[in-house]
Amino acid sequence: MENSILQLFPLRYRAFWQNAAGDQEHIQEIRLRAGRPVVLNRDGGEVFLDGQGRYTDTLREPSLVTERMLQEILEHICHYSPYAFEEELRRGFVTVAGGHRVGVAGQAVLEQDGTVRTLKNISFLNIRVAHQVRGAADRILPAVYGRHGLKNVLIISPPGCGKTTLLRDLVRQISDGSPYGRGMNVGVVDERSELAGSFLGRPQNDVGMRTDVLDGCPKETGMLLLLRSMSPEVIAIDELGGDGELQALGKAAACGCRILATVHGEDRRDVERRFGLETECWERLFDLFLVLGKEQGKCVVRRMEERGREA
Amino acid sequence: MRVLGCCMIFGGCLGLGIWYRCQLNGRIRTLRVLRNILELLAGEVRYGRATLPECCGHIARYLSPPFDNAFLEIGHRMEENTGIPFGEAFRQEMEGVLKELPLKEGDREDFLKFTLQTGFADSQMQLRTLEQGVELLSARQSCLEKENAEKCRMAVGLGAMGGLLLILVLC
Repeated sequence: MENSILQLFPLRYRAFWQNAAGDQEHIQEIRLRAGRPVVLNRDGGEVFLDGQGRYTDTLREPSLVTERMLQEILEHICHYSPYAFEEELRRGFVTVAGGHRVGVAGQAVLEQDGTVRTLKNISFLNIRVAHQVRGAADRILPAVYGRHGLKNVLIISPPGCGKTTLLRDLVRQISDGSPYGRGMNVGVVDERSELAGSFLGRPQNDVGMRTDVLDGCPKETGMLLLLRSMSPEVIAIDELGGDGELQALGKAAACGCRILATVHGEDRRDVERRFGLETECWERLFDLFLVLGKEQGKCVVRRMEERGREA
Repeated sequence: MRVLGCCMIFGGCLGLGIWYRCQLNGRIRTLRVLRNILELLAGEVRYGRATLPECCGHIARYLSPPFDNAFLEIGHRMEENTGIPFGEAFRQEMEGVLKELPLKEGDREDFLKFTLQTGFADSQMQLRTLEQGVELLSARQSCLEKENAEKCRMAVGLGAMGGLLLILVLC
């Protein structure tokens, strides 16, 4: 029952979701849209639910999501106190117990300066089911450790190829220690609560015994804050997104921290083009580049480059 | 023997009057406690932006029995995530406690009213529902306090006089 997606639903809907919850390992996403059928992303494909909550691949007798259902689910997720999740709702997602992430969309209420104040008439929910894959980083660990200890690693991957999963397991193994290196103090800046899946400040995913998590904080600010407060030996961030973050990573590296990061992209060239930085800049910061991709529906490490040469 | 009987009748009637007075005072005391509970909940929402189930767990340590255990239990039940809505869990737990206390149905309803009004995106709205409960209970309390002095005197007096009347009739 613990961490079950069943806990996302109020009691009256649990019988309906029982079947899907039993198949949680295979479900990546649950999409609920007002007046539309329930859509589950299961093992990379789409399935629907019928009136009894059973899987169906046709839209003959689908179960339709009602506005009331959405409202009740959202209230339940927010512990009947949506005001306490104001910031999360403003950002568009709420992380819940178990590390699952519930994305919300509806009608935005804007401030005078154009920033989003809150969302109302929420009519769309996207439940991203958290899957921690222990051992995902087993095969890359030997490459991650070099003669001088842990390397600075950048994981490059298109969406849905497992970069967060890989980074999470890497963090766990580096934190706990492995045959390749002793356990190290790791600082995680988890801006979108995806890596540690923190709920009320407590990581729901196993990110290791020596890991400190700064949840919901912008990466740039968070890295500097962690450096000052927790003196980590390793800093990990998910989804590099701007020059400021790169500069903060540079500062962390200059302080002697090892760095682990992920970034969206097809390959190194794609990332360099998007950030507008030369290869040398990246190579000054990172020792190892892992490029992920999908082969026959499975996430794999397509390329492993070490400062310009293939590892 | 007759004198002893008279004394017992008088004592019994007087006791009844005093018991009624205690009930009246007890109701005021309990209303004060209920008001205090709603104020504590409002404080947690205002300053801690805590969720309602969290508030219950937090304020439990400031409460005396039987409320402390009831609030801890509400916090635990919500933490276990059995799927029961907060309002329902709160009502179920509190109704058991409140029925043992010297309260009228209206008092209980005023206290529990906020459980029907949850799910606000704005903390000010949630605060307002709690404050409304405080206002309703305050109004009841001050109304009772006004009437109480008179009623208390009358209850004891009537008890004593009733006793005397009974003695006279029986003698």
